[in-house]
Amino acid sequence: MTGWKAAAIVGLAAFGLVVLVPFWWIASMSFKTYEQIQFAQSIYVPKPFTWENYTGLWLETRFPLWLRNSAITAVVVTALTTVISCLSGYAVARLRFPGRESVASLILILYLVPPALLFIPLYRVLAELGATNSLMALFLSYPTFTVPFCTWLLIGFFKALPIELEEAAMVDGATRVQALRRVLLPLAAPGIVASAIFAFTLSWNEFLYALIFIQDETMTTVPVGLNLLIYGDVFHWGQLMAASVITTVPVVALYMFIHRWMVEGLAAGSVKG
Amino acid sequence: MGTAVLLLLPLFVLVVCLIAYPFYRAVWLSFTDKLVGYPERWVGLRNYLYLIHDDTFRTVVRNSFVFTVASVALKVGTGLLMALVLHATWRWRNFFRGLLLLPWITSTVIIALTWRWMFDAFPGRGFFNSVLLDASLISRPIAFMATPEGAMAAVVVANWWRGFPFFGVSYLAGMQSIPGELYEAASVDGAGSWRRFWHITLPGLKHVMLVTILLTFIFTINDFNIIYVMTRGGPGSATQVFATYSYEVAFNQLRWGRGVTISIFVVPLLIALIPLVSRYLLRERSA
Repeated sequence: MTGWKAAAIVGLAAFGLVVLVPFWWIASMSFKTYEQIQFAQSIYVPKPFTWENYTGLWLETRFPLWLRNSAITAVVVTALTTVISCLSGYAVARLRFPGRESVASLILILYLVPPALLFIPLYRVLAELGATNSLMALFLSYPTFTVPFCTWLLIGFFKALPIELEEAAMVDGATRVQALRRVLLPLAAPGIVASAIFAFTLSWNEFLYALIFIQDETMTTVPVGLNLLIYGDVFHWGQLMAASVITTVPVVALYMFIHRWMVEGLAAGSVKG
Repeated sequence: MGTAVLLLLPLFVLVVCLIAYPFYRAVWLSFTDKLVGYPERWVGLRNYLYLIHDDTFRTVVRNSFVFTVASVALKVGTGLLMALVLHATWRWRNFFRGLLLLPWITSTVIIALTWRWMFDAFPGRGFFNSVLLDASLISRPIAFMATPEGAMAAVVVANWWRGFPFFGVSYLAGMQSIPGELYEAASVDGAGSWRRFWHITLPGLKHVMLVTILLTFIFTINDFNIIYVMTRGGPGSATQVFATYSYEVAFNQLRWGRGVTISIFVVPLLIALIPLVSRYLLRERSA
């Protein structure tokens, strides 16, 4: 078996390098001075180490504004998505009504419809509503992909919980709403949190709709803002790297916190082995 | 019944107003010559016929398939390898699984930017050029993304890096659900590790492999972010795919009718693939 152990170690090291080297390259550039990057000095580690890219990014660019826009969008979309998905997920998983199976299939099909198919007509619809060029455009358009995905996940979570507990509560005189609040919701909380984090991550990372629906540079989100930084006439490479690091950290932190839930949620909710 | 309607109402409003209605508008627009700033006129199939005979669009179709098939094939191969490595890991498996999943949760735009710098022609920013020059393996920087093949390879690598961890984790879950007795029985019968992999592991992963391949195919053939951020479809049209070309025609040339038609060309493929994926996913739900 030692042969297999050695192979596993070599494999892990190789995969670890493949995954970590790009992250390290960006992070290390974010701590280099302009000269270090420009003249390819101290390529492996930032020496001297500097925070000037981070302070510059914060004080000289619109990054704080984009960060604020991204955060507001992600929070609003996550809240909307969680409410809509919980209601529909519960209905499909627990209520008996004609066409229940068709609703489940429809949700899955909607999840598979790529955003690239809808961006032009959605732009027209949002323009007619007067919602373009403001975060309202994102509040309205992001649920088109977060809601189908989260509803699909939540149907799985709700179905996996034993219905007998709610039935017992209702036999004991609880109304459906009480059974839902006191019995189902506490049990489903991990699933709901996981689905909310997915909604948050999807909104936080979204690029195409933000690029098209918002032209005003002060109203846009971080992913679009990062592209504005490259094509601007300023060559603050370090600041761009710093912005990438700052954008990635919250998602990675959230993910560390619930990594096991997420993987299991995924396994239970969509692609089960 | 009443409760169900009430609970599903927000979902239906969303679907009808923001998915179904825009989709209907897309189909309608594809039969018009809509230019930004002018009223649309019905032109029947003219947009479709134009694109079928357009050399750029043919390149776009070919690029989309090359990009998708190469990415998916690489993801399946590396995903299998990653799952085997994790499966053979006897300690801290969850830690390593979490570590290797990092690319999958990172924003696609950041991944695209990262790989843009990795392949950058300029040594201080480009990882490969920095390292190769430092090791004196090359004497002058290479402009990796300046050639059509290089640019295509670069966007495939970025897409592969983003996606393979998901494949690896899915295949690991699949491997863990294969009963150990199968392997024991095969060993007793004298099957070596290669034959056990070929005759037990791979067939056991058939379902999860089909699902990951189909899902990723659907999302990759419509990818926008990686290509737009890394190459803008260039050099020339060398990495232009459906979504980026549709954007280019609609928002740079301002031809909305034609732009929409480009994305409608993917619809038949989606109509063929989506029911297939849905069937697999719904079947395992009810099982």
